[in-house]
Amino acid sequence: MEAAAVGRDRGGGSARWRLWALVPIVLLVGAVSLFAATGSSLTDLLGSSPPQADTFDVRRVELARGEIRIRVTNPQTDDLTIASVTVDDAILPFTLDGPSTLGRLRSSTIVVPYDWVEDEPLAVGVTSSTGIETVHEVPAAVETPRASPRSFLGYGIIGLLVGVVPVALGLLWLPSLRRASPHWLAGFMALTAGLLTFLALDALSEALALQAALPSALGGTGLVLLGMAVSYLTLTVISHRFGGGAAGTGGVSSGVALATLVAVGIGLHNFGEGLAVGSSFALGELALGSFLVIGFMVHNVTEGLGIAAPIADGEGRASFRRLVALTAVAGLPAVLGAWLGGFVTTDVHGVVFFAAAAGAALEVVFEVGRYVRRKAPGGLTSPWVLGGFFAGVAIMYATGLLVG
Amino acid sequence: MAKNHRFSRRALLAGAAPLLAAGPLAKIALADDASAAERTATHGGHAHPRLGHASMIGAEVPAPGSPGQLDILTLPPAALPHQPGRLREYTLTAFDKEIEIAQGVRFAAWTYNGTVPGPIIRATEDDLLRVRFVNAGAHPHTIHFHGIHPANMDGVFEVVNPGEAYVYEFPARPYGMQLYHCHTTPLKKHIHKGLYGAFIIDPPEPRKPAQELVMVMNGYDTDGDGGNNFYTVNGLAFYYAKYPIMVKRSQTVRIYLANLTEFDLINSFHLHGEFFRYYPTGSTDQFEYTDTIMLSQGERGIIEIDFHNAGLFMFHAHQTEFTELGWMGFFNVVD
Repeated sequence: MEAAAVGRDRGGGSARWRLWALVPIVLLVGAVSLFAATGSSLTDLLGSSPPQADTFDVRRVELARGEIRIRVTNPQTDDLTIASVTVDDAILPFTLDGPSTLGRLRSSTIVVPYDWVEDEPLAVGVTSSTGIETVHEVPAAVETPRASPRSFLGYGIIGLLVGVVPVALGLLWLPSLRRASPHWLAGFMALTAGLLTFLALDALSEALALQAALPSALGGTGLVLLGMAVSYLTLTVISHRFGGGAAGTGGVSSGVALATLVAVGIGLHNFGEGLAVGSSFALGELALGSFLVIGFMVHNVTEGLGIAAPIADGEGRASFRRLVALTAVAGLPAVLGAWLGGFVTTDVHGVVFFAAAAGAALEVVFEVGRYVRRKAPGGLTSPWVLGGFFAGVAIMYATGLLVG
Repeated sequence: MAKNHRFSRRALLAGAAPLLAAGPLAKIALADDASAAERTATHGGHAHPRLGHASMIGAEVPAPGSPGQLDILTLPPAALPHQPGRLREYTLTAFDKEIEIAQGVRFAAWTYNGTVPGPIIRATEDDLLRVRFVNAGAHPHTIHFHGIHPANMDGVFEVVNPGEAYVYEFPARPYGMQLYHCHTTPLKKHIHKGLYGAFIIDPPEPRKPAQELVMVMNGYDTDGDGGNNFYTVNGLAFYYAKYPIMVKRSQTVRIYLANLTEFDLINSFHLHGEFFRYYPTGSTDQFEYTDTIMLSQGERGIIEIDFHNAGLFMFHAHQTEFTELGWMGFFNVVD
């Protein structure tokens, strides 16, 4: 009887206990409201809270002929008012494209008529109504490219050169790889893993460096983790759905499927790279010499090799159209990145994209690792695999010096 | 095999998602440009407005304040004839006040009587000056006058705490352009917060009739980094650029000028299109005929201008940085 009653209780009360799960949330809302209502008295108990920093987040400074456009955001909780604008320590009249008083994370564009001097450094200052000046330095003043057909073409070509061309060239190793022995193939697969590991770390450090410069209100490290996790998990799902499910492979992607994953990982990285090159150039932070473009080309040729290796090792054959598609997936994002970087992007986008690239590259490293462990003669610890991995890292490092 | 084929197509599609997004994203990039072009177009006539400081006059000038607001700090009370022993009484109250010192920029100032600089104190030599000082501020303050007076009237040792008062009483001498400021430590803080002002002692023999003006040069460190963010005369950045000072060509213009700029070693005064007589400290009739003078912290003197031409003439610090951070104005010379 008793046992039955208890059993009935457990069964019948299940809806009630599910409702009970709401209680902590309701109580939390209550506690938060209570605290918000009496918040200031708590501040009184602890002594007055320190004032807000009242500094702006200068998102983007664009230079046009006779004009400087400064995009600013309020990174703090309290409102922030744009009161005075200086260029090189001189107060100037300005107009606003947006409100002068900015709520949290709201933005405005300050337009200053100014006869700036080509190639010389420039410091813009935005002073709040409380007298706090935020200074942003432009290392060398050059006209910000507008999205004209010409500049569109220019960024497109940059993207093609650093993204598509090297990947396509790298893929030309495919016939040679096909004739390579299993040992060599395993070595090249490991090389792919090595270069992707390098790219992952490179993208991650890029993302972390960018987020460090962001105002803390934007939660930079969280943004990095989020970008990484989303891209990593997305790629995991894709590979398991479409690659790992195939019978007999035991959940390991191989052949063209693995090559596609590699291409996606590389594509995301190239997107970030295009973004970085495009925005650096647009914001006058980078002298885009031919040397830099050459450096990126040499650096990225290995990426084509990385895509070619799993195809050569796989059973299925890849049609020419598929190879073109893989090149596009891996290389074209660089074009897109260059356009976005050149015309619209801010550092916040850069953080997200680089983090996504890091996550994607890491995921593909694991895919390749699982594949190599199963397929390579001698497994993960064979000298071919170890040598290939280190060679991948070393090649990326050495060619990376060209763009450093 | 068939399955494999299907997967790779779909995988490719998934992988190509960023590329498919290229179209809309490119549109965004172009749209941004289009709207930018629109904005430039709406700027229309003044897409290239007049540049340089010559355009900084009248309504275009980012200056705080209203017409006539600075009259009380610009126009001194009239000089009185020499009459030894006559009592001249002033009351100065120190209190904290947030003031707008540049357009839209507020500064948590320490003031005498609510303005920076403080009120003009004027006496004729040998007047008995009695200044009642009330400290209604949050910090201890004093008034330290430049001139000749007993040690206990010097505003150094008799610190006046908040809520207290003190009476400074001494014969006004020597004649010339003097000044006063708070002399409580930390001295730098007490001065740059705004506790200073002009103190004119007229000579026994009256000076020639003239249109008299007072100019106290100062700076404001609004972000507390030990350097000035704004420079002004009489407390408001660019005020006299927005509201030029009207003077008559037929009349001598006499400026009682003092430098109370903190942090910067020197400040200066430069007049366009004209020369003037400069009497250092105004204590003798020795003068220099020039158009630019340099004053150290606490240095002051008297300028006399006889304008040869009518029109707008600029005056400013010849430290161009100070000029462009607010220390600039115009005389509107009329016949």
